[in-house]
Amino acid sequence: MTKNNERPICHRAEDLVAYLYNEASETDSQDFADHAKQCDACRSELAVFLQVHESIVLWRNEALGTFSPVSQATDLASTTSPVKLIQHERKLSALQALREFFSVSPLWLRGATVFAALLLCVLALVVISRSWKQPTQVANNPTEERVYTSTQFKDAVDKAVNEKLKRSRFVTPPALNVASKEVEVKPSKQQSLTRRELARNSSATRSQRLRGFTRAEREQLAADLLLIPGRDEADLPSVFYEEPNQ
Amino acid sequence: METASTDEQMVERALTGDPEAFGEIVRRWERRIFALAFGMLGREEDARDATQETFLAAFRNLRGFRGDAKVSSWLHRIAVNQCITRQRRAKVRNETGLEDEAEKNAAVFALPSEISPARAAEGKQRSVAVRIAVGALPPDLRQVVVMKEFEELTFQEISEALELPLSTVKSRLYTALRQLQMRLEKFGEPAR
Repeated sequence: MTKNNERPICHRAEDLVAYLYNEASETDSQDFADHAKQCDACRSELAVFLQVHESIVLWRNEALGTFSPVSQATDLASTTSPVKLIQHERKLSALQALREFFSVSPLWLRGATVFAALLLCVLALVVISRSWKQPTQVANNPTEERVYTSTQFKDAVDKAVNEKLKRSRFVTPPALNVASKEVEVKPSKQQSLTRRELARNSSATRSQRLRGFTRAEREQLAADLLLIPGRDEADLPSVFYEEPNQ
Repeated sequence: METASTDEQMVERALTGDPEAFGEIVRRWERRIFALAFGMLGREEDARDATQETFLAAFRNLRGFRGDAKVSSWLHRIAVNQCITRQRRAKVRNETGLEDEAEKNAAVFALPSEISPARAAEGKQRSVAVRIAVGALPPDLRQVVVMKEFEELTFQEISEALELPLSTVKSRLYTALRQLQMRLEKFGEPAR
């Protein structure tokens, strides 16, 4: 037996409660009754608990005496048809429901919800601003410096190559324009015509202009031209401007 | 036993779409659920609302009802949860519930000489004191007391409804009775 709050406590507390509410078996009940005769703690607690029980019963009878089961039953029965239950449930507006949710939820959940909402707003703003900015850069300022994607860059290069080829068709002899013709016949292969091919074509044109000279002859000619003053240097091929002796 | 099986049949009928079946369950259990809610919340309006909410929640979760438990245990469990949620909400809104009232009136009830000596009023004061003392109990103790005293459920039934071991139910009830006795003594009640 121990003491708590200046009152002795017996270790048979559970038996006491079962005995008090008549839920102990006949044997257990008799056993506890015998024990209580010798145990002051159990005897006094039994008496006090009986008083508490009576007080609660008094309160219960007073409180539930005013309760009309008929009116309650009518109220509840009227709301228990599925349709009415659902209607009752939907009376809450979205705002009210949200407010109620926030009132019941703990502080961390409220904070997390606010943070998530803010993050969502920021993300939405970023996405909107980026999607709004991109098309104006490409479409509205064709004369200004443009920002190209890799696909746009390839398209622009191909377009420039084609234009170059078209122009070169008018200035180059028909024999050299085979590649351009092929391009015309097979437009799908235009895409595969690279800048290297263009370079090859242009070098062919240049070599056509310089036809008849070997490298040694060209070097000799350059040397000669430098020795002859008054010769117009503009007529010289561009390759000679880059001589290291200048 | 027969009632319990009939309750289960009613649930089955309600699940098949019989609109009267669930109404019958409500009629059978509403008084007990109201008593439980009243004991837990201490106010008739709150108890009515909690009772309605209990049956609404039960109706919504009818499919979640496990056949291995009794309908009564299931309803009691829902009711206890409804009451606890309701008290939490009331606390957030700073409404005066049983617990707050207990705190507020503690000083008044600590002075038994100030309570009216008239015998007619005595009983009323006593029940008010009990109500406040019950309201001041922690929820886990209060629900056991209310289920036992208001609904007169057996320890086994309480154990099933709250999904607690039998010994825990008994020890909680014992602790609750001790706390009530001390509070009522403070209010000058059962030690008369």
